[in-house]
Amino acid sequence: METMRKERIDRGVRVRASGLYAISSWREMLYLMGPPLALIIGVILLPVILELAPYWKRVINIMCVYALLALSFDFLANYVGLVCLGGAFFVGVGGYLSAIFNVYLHFPVYLSIPLATICGAFICTFLLMPCLPLRGVYFAIVTLMYPLLATRVIEALDILGGTNGITGLDSLPNEYVEHYAIILMTLFFLYAMRRFVNQDVGLVIRGVKDNDQAVKASGISVTKMKAFAVCIAAFMGCFGGAYMSHMYMWSGLSMFALDFSIIPMASVVIGGGGTLLGAIIGSFILVPLSEVLRNFGTFRIVIYCALLTGFIVFKSEGIMVYAMRKYHQFERWVKV
Amino acid sequence: MFEAREMMVFYENMIALNNVSINAPDAKIIGIFGSNSAGKSTLMYALSGIILDIKKKEEMRGGERISVFGRLFLNGDDVTNLKPHLRAKKGIVLCPERRRIFPESSVMENLKIGAYLSSRLDTKNNIDYVLNLFPRLKDHLNRQGGFLSGGEQQMLAIGRALMANPTVLLLDEPLMGLSPAYMDIVVKGTKEIRDTKGITIIVTEQYARPVIPIIDYGYILENGSAVLEGTGEELLNNPDVKSAYFGV
Repeated sequence: METMRKERIDRGVRVRASGLYAISSWREMLYLMGPPLALIIGVILLPVILELAPYWKRVINIMCVYALLALSFDFLANYVGLVCLGGAFFVGVGGYLSAIFNVYLHFPVYLSIPLATICGAFICTFLLMPCLPLRGVYFAIVTLMYPLLATRVIEALDILGGTNGITGLDSLPNEYVEHYAIILMTLFFLYAMRRFVNQDVGLVIRGVKDNDQAVKASGISVTKMKAFAVCIAAFMGCFGGAYMSHMYMWSGLSMFALDFSIIPMASVVIGGGGTLLGAIIGSFILVPLSEVLRNFGTFRIVIYCALLTGFIVFKSEGIMVYAMRKYHQFERWVKV
Repeated sequence: MFEAREMMVFYENMIALNNVSINAPDAKIIGIFGSNSAGKSTLMYALSGIILDIKKKEEMRGGERISVFGRLFLNGDDVTNLKPHLRAKKGIVLCPERRRIFPESSVMENLKIGAYLSSRLDTKNNIDYVLNLFPRLKDHLNRQGGFLSGGEQQMLAIGRALMANPTVLLLDEPLMGLSPAYMDIVVKGTKEIRDTKGITIIVTEQYARPVIPIIDYGYILENGSAVLEGTGEELLNNPDVKSAYFGV
């Protein structure tokens, strides 16, 4: 009996497009540029297309906020080796800070969001600093505790508006600014991160994940590197929070809701860990899906969970990993 | 009698093992020699079934596709598609490369974990046997595995594999990173296991000199193919082998 095996081979166009020949013809260029361009143009056109269904326009903003959080989770988990469930903490800190800047200190929107983002990133990093030596599940637990802690502190001391939250934030000037502020930032962060992880600093950070002892032996401070990485991740999360508080014109305890920690993680699982783009695609699928399932009431959780479990069991590699393989390679049967 | 027929393993499109057939008669020591990347570890994974586990994990991760071909027979039974834990139950036990002992369990606990499949009486006898074989372990019974020296860890790893009552013991690079004195202890121990328990032992090594005196039959792997086989004496006298694997 003849034994056969399936062989995976790079497509010809991929091989050509990997060198200087990439600029030899439109076909190669399209092969390289096509998917990112499709994504960028598609996302940018989304608000215009959704003029037809106004209800869904609000969803775009939320979707992008979750995409940012998923991006930061993917970065921390798959490039730095820190499983961070502190998405809710980043959002809460960013949201509350921009509310403080805007309502108490009367900064305009275009100042309060950037300030809240930067200050928030530093505050989050500072607060997470003591747990940086922890690894794996311990770091996850500590970061999960922070948002709970923050809620209770605000509730108990009745500061920052207590249970009612801070109301009366300025809204963003108009609807299209609101959409494009978050869409452009999401795209910017996506491509900035993809570039960043291949820079020298990014390589060191990836080294921390693989073997932190070897990084220490090379004379690099692991804690400093981790703090830097957490700062970047917190930056994205805080921007999402600051933006969201202005979108809702309100900042309250639900900014610390666990959804902001859990859904990004699920989107990374669906999109494919370590691809960055996968995190964004995952949240672009999950957030609208949970919106659709809203009609089913509490039953939606069941459907949601079943879908997630199915994904993890049957396609645990994630959409992006699968799609990239199919895009770059083809398969055929060969004799052994 | 343990037999591997025409084993082939592909990591994606790279061939790691090419038509390797191994014959291991009862109560013999079989040596498998080869340089780095010759396919020794892959062969061990294929024999112990760990390769099926690696294959599954890679599939889940969306990584490389691993294809395994060939057949394995233990005393005439086909064990090709058995999962690693079932193979261990049948008596094919791997002592993995780099020891992989449980660093946070004590020496005694490590041995007991290895004995999970055997009865209470067997366990007691086996522990006595292992401690007689490697008396150095006696001094450290309550020490954590991770704090043992490299040589002691290797003894512990072999001991742990022995606790499962193997009929075929696969030793993957047991001499890696050991001093000549420890090499001697491990090699002598290996010989003693065969002589006293009648266990078939398949041992891989890069540096053949310390192992060659105890083997009954040997294979030389190069780039995934078995290029040469013979008794220890024959291998030792082959001029090509001499320069490549004995450092003469």
